[in-house]
Amino acid sequence: MYSLLPLLTLIVPLFTGILCLFTCLFKFLEEFSRKTAKMLLLISAVLSLATPLAMIPYCVIGEVLETTGLGLRADSSNIAALVSTAILFLLVSIYNMSAEKGGRLKPGVYNFFLLLFLCCMFGLLLSYDLFGIFLFVEMVIGVSIILVAHNPIKDSTEAAFKYLIITAISALFVLIGVLTIYVLTGESNILHLLGNIEKRMILAENPPLLMFIVACFIVGLGADIGLAPFHGWLPDTLPASTIIINGFTAIEPIPLILALYRLVAPLYEIYPSSIIVALMLGTGLVSIIFGALMAYSQRDFFRMFAYCSIDEYGHSLFALSLLSPSDSQIFIIGQFYLINSTLAKTGLILSLGSVYFNTGGSNMDFLGGLLEKMNKTALSYIVCALSIIGIPPMSGFYAKLLLINASYKFFYDYGNSIIASLIIALLICIAVISCVILIRSFHKIFLGKSRVNIDVKGDVPILMWLPTILLAMATIIIGVHPDLLIRFIGYTRFG
Amino acid sequence: MEAPSLLTLVIAAFITALGCFTDITRRTIMLLSIQAIAIGSATLARCLIDLVIGLNIEALIHFFAAFAEWFSAAVVAPLILYWGVTKTENIADKPLIEARKLATLIISISILYILWILQSQMLREGRIITLSFCILMFSFSTLLMITRRDAFKILAGLNMAENSLFPLLAEIPITLVPFILTLMIFVTAMGTYVIIEAYRDHGTILVDRWRWLKE
Repeated sequence: MYSLLPLLTLIVPLFTGILCLFTCLFKFLEEFSRKTAKMLLLISAVLSLATPLAMIPYCVIGEVLETTGLGLRADSSNIAALVSTAILFLLVSIYNMSAEKGGRLKPGVYNFFLLLFLCCMFGLLLSYDLFGIFLFVEMVIGVSIILVAHNPIKDSTEAAFKYLIITAISALFVLIGVLTIYVLTGESNILHLLGNIEKRMILAENPPLLMFIVACFIVGLGADIGLAPFHGWLPDTLPASTIIINGFTAIEPIPLILALYRLVAPLYEIYPSSIIVALMLGTGLVSIIFGALMAYSQRDFFRMFAYCSIDEYGHSLFALSLLSPSDSQIFIIGQFYLINSTLAKTGLILSLGSVYFNTGGSNMDFLGGLLEKMNKTALSYIVCALSIIGIPPMSGFYAKLLLINASYKFFYDYGNSIIASLIIALLICIAVISCVILIRSFHKIFLGKSRVNIDVKGDVPILMWLPTILLAMATIIIGVHPDLLIRFIGYTRFG
Repeated sequence: MEAPSLLTLVIAAFITALGCFTDITRRTIMLLSIQAIAIGSATLARCLIDLVIGLNIEALIHFFAAFAEWFSAAVVAPLILYWGVTKTENIADKPLIEARKLATLIISISILYILWILQSQMLREGRIITLSFCILMFSFSTLLMITRRDAFKILAGLNMAENSLFPLLAEIPITLVPFILTLMIFVTAMGTYVIIEAYRDHGTILVDRWRWLKE
């Protein structure tokens, strides 16, 4: 069905962002901009949530809302991700009300970039056009880099430059992949490409080139997401960014990982090669193992979180990579895992941000005994951590259960029972390592003796702990009623 | 592939390789500009001939698109970098790898590349030969980036890598050209902004010194 709602989803944050930018362009509005910037961001976030919510009734009954010509499309395959992205953005905007202390960018410019970031994330989720996906990927990354450099500390520029170089090169890999498809087939819309037998055959008849395109997409988007071994920027970027930017960028994997799936899955449909699955699964597995092992040795909780994130990105990619020509459940399981993981990770990073806000330090060796004074933050941290580990009744448990079940079935069908058992054993071992890392970090930060050199008067302001508590509650509610989220996730066959 | 296009691509690849050996930041930026001129000239000349022969609106639009691509890569991006250098410093630094080893590496990459073209079945199709040239220039640009400590040289290398994809960009729908160009200029401007801010913080544009100063 032709609809302007997908386009409106992009226009709302972009338009409100431009309005915020205007407030700092004129001198007489500067004072107004400084005083109202945080409130304007919150209002914009609420408005930006309205359009995805308006699309839910259509998408749930299986309608496809499409803005033809621009390749934007909302359906059951992306509505849950859209709404989750908008809700998480809103919660971090609430957190921003108390946590933002200013930086290199003026408040109006800062708001503009944040809203542009949201617009690009929506664009990535809605776009089915190859060039559209490339443009939105590059924009998401570009805006993230500016936001990293916003932090007025010395480390931020170095981290931003590293981030820029790695991700700009990787974006060129995405462009090479996109251009190769376009030069060969003359088509940039993924759905049109799959609907045309002749164009499909052009790609299917040249398997080495198809594998080259898949490799370009995995390298390109893998580096943008922060998957091992292309993750170089991630552990430096998190400690160098402000605590709020860490919250906003924690949402980024939802659109980026789904974009990678949207680029690779159609190619698998054209040429169902086990090499494509092996490349995706391999990247996922390397990220899982590398992330978990590296997180173990970290003392800085931001760096620990960065490696835990690599581990979680690996899990999400692994779940989405169990591609099979007959099984449509994989996409639902993968997306469910991805949304749950992002939910818990956002809660976790905001809680860590609150600790940093109150103590001014991120080295876990110099922290301790914060439970009494920061009990709400401690509660949200442990609930989100337990969800990531996969302890019932948190949502992470159900997500991990589905992942393990799907993995066993996949490796049993395409391998044998020994391989399937080994993979399950590996996933369980990694979950145990994550458990040790996160519980140990909770112990180091919140339990034990309080340090004399840290003067913490009480918990962070309500606008900072409320979003983290809401996120912790969400993980419990979805854990008890997973169908609340699963029923919104559908699968659209590309062809 | 037409002979003039092939020739310009060979010249562009040679200039990209030369970029790996330059000492002074401004010279690297100059080579970036020459590389972009070389890459874009064949497309631009073809569009100009089409315009003169055809004299129609479609040919005019294509000419303007090609000119915009050429202008942004050969003039706008180098000027942004040049402005950044005037705001910071124009330094002379040698590549991290010794010049002789670097030359051996570049020659090896070129030989491997020629062997790959001769061997590979997938590159036989005419239009895909352009892709293979793009990949060669892309590899040289990446080599320039990984062997340098000067942030502006690294950024110039990134721009050379972007320019190396321009022969393929000539094939994209005309409506997308402004978006792609804006995005590429945006990345260059953002990189320059980050380097200027880093220079204010650390007092140098050598990336290894940023970390060293911190410790």
